[in-house]
Amino acid sequence: MKKVKALILTTAGTNCDYESQAALQLCGASADRVHINVLLEKKDEILNYDILVFPGGFSYGDDIASGKILANEVKNKMGGVLQKFALSKRPVIGICNGFQVLVKMGLLPSVREFCQTSTLSYNDSGKFECRWVYLKTMKNIDGVSKCLWTRNLPEIISLPVAHGEGKFIVRDKDILDMLKNNEQIAFKYCSKDGSEADYPLNPNGSIEQIAGISNDFGNVFGLMPHPERYVFALQHPARQGYDGKFGWGKIIFQNAVDYVKG
Amino acid sequence: MYKIEIKTKENFRDARGEYYLYEIISMGFDNVKKVKYCPLYIIKGDISDGEAEIIARQLLIDEITEDYSIKKENEILSPIKVGGAIEVWYKKGVTDTVAQSVQKAVKDLGIDKKIEVNTGHKYYLFGDISDEDLALMAEKLFANTLIQGYEIENHALQRN
Repeated sequence: MKKVKALILTTAGTNCDYESQAALQLCGASADRVHINVLLEKKDEILNYDILVFPGGFSYGDDIASGKILANEVKNKMGGVLQKFALSKRPVIGICNGFQVLVKMGLLPSVREFCQTSTLSYNDSGKFECRWVYLKTMKNIDGVSKCLWTRNLPEIISLPVAHGEGKFIVRDKDILDMLKNNEQIAFKYCSKDGSEADYPLNPNGSIEQIAGISNDFGNVFGLMPHPERYVFALQHPARQGYDGKFGWGKIIFQNAVDYVKG
Repeated sequence: MYKIEIKTKENFRDARGEYYLYEIISMGFDNVKKVKYCPLYIIKGDISDGEAEIIARQLLIDEITEDYSIKKENEILSPIKVGGAIEVWYKKGVTDTVAQSVQKAVKDLGIDKKIEVNTGHKYYLFGDISDEDLALMAEKLFANTLIQGYEIENHALQRN
């Protein structure tokens, strides 16, 4: 069987690319870390890959605003091929800074519209928030997640966050209604028992406690928490996990690899 | 030369302004009632008014939460009557890394012209505040005086 191939896009300031690569390799994929300057010389090669990852970090030093410069660069220089990739229903994930890139270029929440209708702004606390949070996996009445990346997860999981600009905001109520009606909200911050939570459980003041969203098909996914930092139980402060060995983040990457395998 | 000032839209929270207000009050300046934070950019070079607008709109603001104003060289905008304001800029000779990123990003927009960029910060302080207090806040909180200089506007005094 053909090996699933993932591309992890890097640039100046990316710092979660190795962890993302290791997570995908653990799930059986091959994963290449490719610098934006290299990719721009052969843009169409992105279509040789099955999965695309915008990893976490501080692209271009978070200058101007987190993710803004990389979002503009990718959209202006290879927006067409990126949109084609996403419309082909291949899995795309933006983690933390990668999520900021996806919403600021407008690939989320709608790949087809591809214009910015939401943002990730400064945390209400005015400072960097770095800790473990509880997340509620959003599922429909049949217990299935619309987002292919968040399938097979229990109702409540925990993952670490580390960001200064993670407050999810939408342009207007219509966008929020669309996210709700299309079941595009993938993760919400919550308390340990799953109930609605304010700061500090909601670390940034996101509207409706939103921690992650997908496009309407469910293949493009962005989230502020870091699944690549919890693929082994050993990475959890209390060494918790499933099967006595793995962390919830592994399931997220495994979902994408298994989806490609069909 | 274009001076571009970024503002948080009124219906969105200015988390950085609120954070600085907390810091100021904890320093004992309880005469300050509100702080509004605005990033500043100066762009020099052979760019048109239209290109300056594109840079502001497509690059420097977050179109969901922020707005901007552009001041051309020698143009004087009436100050916001708030009490006082402090502008902080790097001193000459200090590397402005954000400015370097802006130069790169302007090229990404397709504006391939030689430009010079400086970045700064403006803090509007609401309340009845003396020049001495503004200088003390600038020295103790807003500016790292080893590498940054500051300018004070005291709108309360201008009104008198």
